[in-house]
Amino acid sequence: MEREFYKISGRENGQRLSSRILEEKIQQAVAAGHRALLIEACGQHGIGGRLWKAGAEPVYVKIEGNTGQRTGSLGYPNTLIEIMGPASDDAGWLNAGAHIVVHGHAGNGLANAMAQGKIFVGGNTGARAMTMTKRNPRFAHPEVWVLGSVGDYFGEFMAGGIAVICGVDGQDPENVLGYRPLVGMVGGQVFFRGPHKGYSTSDTRLSVISDDQWNWFTENLKNFLDHIHRPELLESLSVRSDWNLLVTRTIREKAGVRQRSMSSFRKDVWDKELGNGGLIGDLTHLDRRPIPLVPTGDLRRFVPEWANQKYLSPCEASCPSGIPVQERWRLIREGRLDEAVDLALAYTPFPATVCGYLCPNPCMQACTRQINLMKPIDTTQLGKASINASVPDLPPMSGKRIGVIGGGPAGISIAWQLRQQGHEAVIHDRAGLLGGKISSVIPETRIPKDVLTAELDRVRKVIPQVNLTQNLDRNAFGNLKNAFDFLVIATGAQKPRTLPVPGNERSIPAADFLEKAKTGAINPGKRLVVIGAGNVGCDVATEAHRLGARELTLIDVQEPAAFGKERKEAEEAGAVFRWPCFTKEITAEGVVLDSGELIPADTVVVSIGDMPDLDFLPENIDREHGFVAVNESFQTSDPTVFAIGDTVRPGLLTDAIGAGRKAARAIADIIDGHRPLTPQGTSTGSRSGQQMIDRNRVSLEYFDPRITEFKDTKSCGSQCASCGACRDCGICVAMCPQAAISREQKEGTTYEYRVDADKCIGCGFCAGACPCGVWEMTANRPMEG
Amino acid sequence: MPSNRPITPSTLSIKDLPWQIHWNKDKCTLCGSCTAVCPVNAIELGVFRKRTVETALGIEGSASSVFKVYHGIRQRTDAAYACVGCAMCTQVCPNDAIMPYRSDEAPKLPYHINQGGQPRRRGGRRNVPGGILDQIKFLRISMLTDPALDAGRHEFEVRTLLGRVLPPEESLKHFNENGWVPPVREIYPLIIGSMSFGALSPPMWEGLQMGVAYLNEELKMPVRMCTGEGGCPPRLLRSRFLQYVILQIASGYFGWDEIIHAIPEMKVDPCAIEIKYGQGAKPGDGGLLMWNKVNQLIAAIRGVPVGVSLPSPPTHQTQYSIEESVAKMIQSMSMAWGFRVPVYPKISATSTALAVLNNLTRNGFAAGLAIDGEDGGTGAAYDVSMNSMGHPIASNIRDCYLNLAALGKQNEIPLFAGGGAGKTGNLAANAAALIMLGASGVQIGKYIMQAAAGCLGSETDRCNICNVGLCPKGITSQDPRLYRRLNPEDVAQRVVDVYLSFDTELKKIIAPLGRSTSLPIGMSDALGINDFNAAERLKIQYVI
Repeated sequence: MEREFYKISGRENGQRLSSRILEEKIQQAVAAGHRALLIEACGQHGIGGRLWKAGAEPVYVKIEGNTGQRTGSLGYPNTLIEIMGPASDDAGWLNAGAHIVVHGHAGNGLANAMAQGKIFVGGNTGARAMTMTKRNPRFAHPEVWVLGSVGDYFGEFMAGGIAVICGVDGQDPENVLGYRPLVGMVGGQVFFRGPHKGYSTSDTRLSVISDDQWNWFTENLKNFLDHIHRPELLESLSVRSDWNLLVTRTIREKAGVRQRSMSSFRKDVWDKELGNGGLIGDLTHLDRRPIPLVPTGDLRRFVPEWANQKYLSPCEASCPSGIPVQERWRLIREGRLDEAVDLALAYTPFPATVCGYLCPNPCMQACTRQINLMKPIDTTQLGKASINASVPDLPPMSGKRIGVIGGGPAGISIAWQLRQQGHEAVIHDRAGLLGGKISSVIPETRIPKDVLTAELDRVRKVIPQVNLTQNLDRNAFGNLKNAFDFLVIATGAQKPRTLPVPGNERSIPAADFLEKAKTGAINPGKRLVVIGAGNVGCDVATEAHRLGARELTLIDVQEPAAFGKERKEAEEAGAVFRWPCFTKEITAEGVVLDSGELIPADTVVVSIGDMPDLDFLPENIDREHGFVAVNESFQTSDPTVFAIGDTVRPGLLTDAIGAGRKAARAIADIIDGHRPLTPQGTSTGSRSGQQMIDRNRVSLEYFDPRITEFKDTKSCGSQCASCGACRDCGICVAMCPQAAISREQKEGTTYEYRVDADKCIGCGFCAGACPCGVWEMTANRPMEG
Repeated sequence: MPSNRPITPSTLSIKDLPWQIHWNKDKCTLCGSCTAVCPVNAIELGVFRKRTVETALGIEGSASSVFKVYHGIRQRTDAAYACVGCAMCTQVCPNDAIMPYRSDEAPKLPYHINQGGQPRRRGGRRNVPGGILDQIKFLRISMLTDPALDAGRHEFEVRTLLGRVLPPEESLKHFNENGWVPPVREIYPLIIGSMSFGALSPPMWEGLQMGVAYLNEELKMPVRMCTGEGGCPPRLLRSRFLQYVILQIASGYFGWDEIIHAIPEMKVDPCAIEIKYGQGAKPGDGGLLMWNKVNQLIAAIRGVPVGVSLPSPPTHQTQYSIEESVAKMIQSMSMAWGFRVPVYPKISATSTALAVLNNLTRNGFAAGLAIDGEDGGTGAAYDVSMNSMGHPIASNIRDCYLNLAALGKQNEIPLFAGGGAGKTGNLAANAAALIMLGASGVQIGKYIMQAAAGCLGSETDRCNICNVGLCPKGITSQDPRLYRRLNPEDVAQRVVDVYLSFDTELKKIIAPLGRSTSLPIGMSDALGINDFNAAERLKIQYVI
């Protein structure tokens, strides 16, 4: 194409023009209407770009010499630039439409950030050609055609346009795409021909050349070859099978590019190298498959147990006689009053006398309700109702005979228990009245006579062999020992402890006073001083008041130990408690204290306890501090002799009754061969090894805290939390979120609550909701790691 | 427990506990999941009695008192059952009805946890949020390095060297005279630090190893993991994966007879041997794996009978000075593999670290020095050890590096820093800071437990019950009922994710420094901090 050129030289007077001057000259020429420029370049920057002054009229810029960097940069669509030799770096930079032909090689950065236009290169390119190219949908996409090969990092961050790399006489015949091409490419296509050494597979993929694409390609190929003056290559470059097309992966395709999955790695690499089961497959055969957070069955961390009656209720645990009080309330709730009443007789011969009247009721003091400031269940109501308890069926006699010395509560208790176990018990007592202190000393104000009489009558039905007014000395003891298989000493504490002070003889022991008071055989006068302010002292005061005394003073060296009904009644009688008071002397006027004070008295009663009278015992029976020494089964140093009640240690009536039951159990066990005669730390009762339930497990929230009294045994039963013993309320069944708990009816009235392990998650809701604290959560059995 | 009761000095209310359970009655469906999952039995079903007094407006008729009973979740207040804030209840609640909240005031529990004279012990971390590493900035940003680097797309070779690197002329001389030069490994600079099989559950340990193997074999990242003390599963010892493993020997010497028996059958050499002298979390204290955790598996791997307690004393017995110990131990361990495997000691950060280091510079076999700072985690330690014992890693590693530089040996003995990297989640920044302060590589433990297995610990005394084997995520438990919650495959995948993202982040830091093929170890001119004293101490720029 021959045409008239307006020639601009990059030199003037042998001096290179600065890029600014040359640019001025070119712009002026275009402004002056020149549309064909021949530039003799001398390394100037940016030649041929920005020729928008020509508007839509085409401008042809032919560059000879050494063109500088960024030839055709910011190129305008009207411009055609033909570089007759090689192009320096960044040719076509930010090209917005110019068509640039490079007849030689192109340097680095060819077409960087080009958005429109075309660049034809007749040789190879340097590094980073076609990088950051764009495509604006308003215009045709940019094109770069390279006859040879492209340099390293070709097409980095390419975002649009079409590149064609023909691979003719490339710089590296083995690799037309250079090193690490197309990294970060997000748009555009690359046609290439010839060998390569990889491209960014995460950004691009090979694509089949469609017919439309091939048509476009062949049409434009001819144009390209014509421009670079290599039309002869058309045929050899038109072999469709020689060409490859790389297209950008779509966002979705990129997301889909995955490394090998971990499960595949585990199966095909990890387990293959290590063996089945992986790292520790040879060391364990445990199932190690993943489990959810809240599993059932064997995988539960905790397991509920329906621990019905596994622990003692506080009332039972604190009853020295061992009466299962909560069990009696259960029978009441079930409407079985008779059984509830009769049940007591298995534990005590005096359910009415003691539980109903005389006992301070440790069961009530221990009641879980009491601990939580609620009214304890009233055992005395049940006790009083027990007057009607009927004598149990007695088993036939075993032939074994046990002599019981003492007909008080302890002696009666053990005889009662032994007879119920089929052994004959014979009671001997000095007194003319069965019942010991209950009959002789305790005031009738405390125990109605008919109640006591009824219970003693019941006792006599069970123990017909009672020998009263028996003298007792060592000889008599020896005879008894020969006559019986076992002897039980239950003679109580008969000998009053006395005060070693002057005038002691003027005082009267409490027991004597009470005994005489009961028969009206004493007149205390108006003023009474009781030395020793315990419960017996209170009884003395109450009785003295009944007999006419009005100034009642109880003194003690320490804070009075009196409590409960006795103290209350004494206080109601007007008794004054004083302490600490140390008695110096007892005179006809009264009691003189260490301080010199005189407390006037008509009668002075000493109530500082009683000691057993053990003169009748042979030497081989050990004593301890004036009491008979026994082991925990109440067995003395003579294994066939037992001792119980106040002869062993001072205590409550219920202590004596409980001791009788425990000793009877021991004797029966020896007779039955369940334990040796000589004990080796044996336990005493069937339930004695049991622990008391943790009261915190009981939920009193189910009960009305405002109940202040119980009108009858029925209301008592309904308000009893039944600590540790199932109330059969079914709350657990309703509560279980997994419906894992069911109630199973067994023979008779017995039942069981069961847990389906396959449903249970071990949440402990059953334990939390149970009013009685029956359900117990325990850690599941350890699982071998 | 009745609300009205006698109290003792240690009777606590919910307010006194560090974590308080907020339970929403309206949302709760009483499904039992929370109480079933709670690792410490801090919650239970409670029975509540609710009373309303009903009075009519205008006081017409008589007022009545009405009780109703409802059931709900109750928090226990006994010190032994105090909520640890793990929030597994929240995790498992179908109705989002329950969540533990941290107390808004200083809890009273710490004053009473020492019942019976036994001070508190725990696992986990120091519980001190923040730290100097997070304050360090990277100041030296090359605007247009050549080539300009792009962390996401450019090519990097993020590698470090583990082993004694001799200067070229010395190396030649050494080889000519001895026919041997010290072994050196080219590894990834982020190492999974020593956590034993025993401290970690089987799926956790296997998951970490599997992830490491994947990184090596599928992604060509030469990541290494240290076994911790307690041996190494026999199969791993006899597999090619052993090359990715740093075997640790510590004062208990557990599992080493099994390793010796495996040496003739090993396909490959292990990466290196780490001799543990101390642990950053509880410097100067030993360890004890309680007998009840020594189950069949642990016993087999450690080479002991089932059910015996395994003490690791605070010090190596029979060794009386660091010179003697390092000399003996490095020699012995090097001999085991014919001097083909690098051997280096690991110590807890201490003001005496320089003495150890100086000794190593004179020991031609020493392959490096690992230092574990006070922010390191642990499976079990006394509170007092974790809270008050130890030395921060930054100044310790810096002192050591500068000392090496003064000796002209800063490129010869690599230092590895542990304890606190990624403590607040900024793993790459912390690691880069440590590297630029002078570390050749960084060891991580807690971070990987959190990121790869969802450890719930935080720097606010959350969870921290690793020591009692109750880990609710199954990371540190030997109880299958707990550890089967963890799938080793998932752990492995997370390890891969963590390393890939770390790699990108590290590049984001080092690319602007113009580094792509060599780590900027000791490149402290790139570091700055807006704390003058810290800048002076670390010899980095003070910037505001």
